[in-house]
Amino acid sequence: MTALTVSIYRYNPETDKKPYMQDIEVDVPEGKDLMVLDVLHLAKEKDPALTYRRSCREGVCGSDGMNISGKNGLACITPLSEAKKGNKLVLRPLPGLPVVRDLVVDMSLFYKQYEKIKPYLQNDTPAPAIERLQSPEDRAKLDGLYECILCACCSTSCPSFWWNPDKFVGPAGLLQAWRFLADSRDTATAERLADLDDPFSVFRCRGIMNCVNVCPKGLNPTRAIGHIRSMLLTQSA
Amino acid sequence: MNNNRPVNLDLTTIWLPITGVVSFAHRVSGIVLFIGAAFLVWALDASLSSAAGFAQVKQLLAENFIAQFIVWGTLCALAYHFVAGIKHLIMDAGIGETKEGGKAGAYFTLIVSAVLFVLAGVWVW
Ligand code: SF4
Repeated sequence: MTALTVSIYRYNPETDKKPYMQDIEVDVPEGKDLMVLDVLHLAKEKDPALTYRRSCREGVCGSDGMNISGKNGLACITPLSEAKKGNKLVLRPLPGLPVVRDLVVDMSLFYKQYEKIKPYLQNDTPAPAIERLQSPEDRAKLDGLYECILCACCSTSCPSFWWNPDKFVGPAGLLQAWRFLADSRDTATAERLADLDDPFSVFRCRGIMNCVNVCPKGLNPTRAIGHIRSMLLTQSA
Repeated sequence: MNNNRPVNLDLTTIWLPITGVVSFAHRVSGIVLFIGAAFLVWALDASLSSAAGFAQVKQLLAENFIAQFIVWGTLCALAYHFVAGIKHLIMDAGIGETKEGGKAGAYFTLIVSAVLFVLAGVWVW
């Protein structure tokens, strides 16, 4: 066993006026690499009031996105060896979103932006008797887009989203906007582009690339935004 | 019950990747350029006012370290803003939009501007 100090952002709306950082000492077993989520479980044994979201514990549900030693990521698939600095691990809630309690943030603003881009297939041609077919090449265009689990790690690492969470769609929403623009079965391309054609929705992206650097699924919102931008420019030209 | 939800946005605790550092510096260079331009406009105005004014500005730029430093700082800001802008154009063309490509572009920006900073220094002094 080795001792580890876990510094955790604590805030209880019932009792606290302000959030504070609390150090919890945990004993970490030697000889294997725990995930940050395992460490949170150990900390919760010390203080059962500690609150965080988690579900699948394998990087699929996207519930346990948080700021781990400064970098957004999923606690369940971030190894402690990579995350700790010396003998310390610092856990804070995702930046920029209102904190409900401890590491749990209110994701409403994030979901609102996702809703804005109409994240579903739109097709006004009569529905065929079977599925709408797609060639393997067209299907391949969705790779690197459909895998998004909406964990919000990217959007909450993005300064443009911090300053304009109500007007800038953000990396996650724009990756999905491109996912439907790129889908050969979707016929609402013109409407989708018209919805995005203003100074804020897309163009607040300054190519900072924090999103690409933190996405736990290795996706690339910056490139998707570039594609949307080119489409907006060619259609107005 | 406290209904005013706090927000975790202490920038000193949040990691900024090299691509973010370069972007932030792009903004700062824009502000420096704006302030530096005020000095340049003043110097231009003074130098055009009269022959004596011209001589005064000439002497200032030749001998006064602070004036030289301001000119050098403005040139550096211009150089950096220019190089980072070129990087943006390259990225707009779809080049260097990957995680590795972004990093390479960021280092490219830093190295090319560092060279220009030195050249600007040689020119001023
Ligand atoms: S793009 Fe990546 S970081 Fe952003 S919400 Fe989707 S999975 Fe999470």
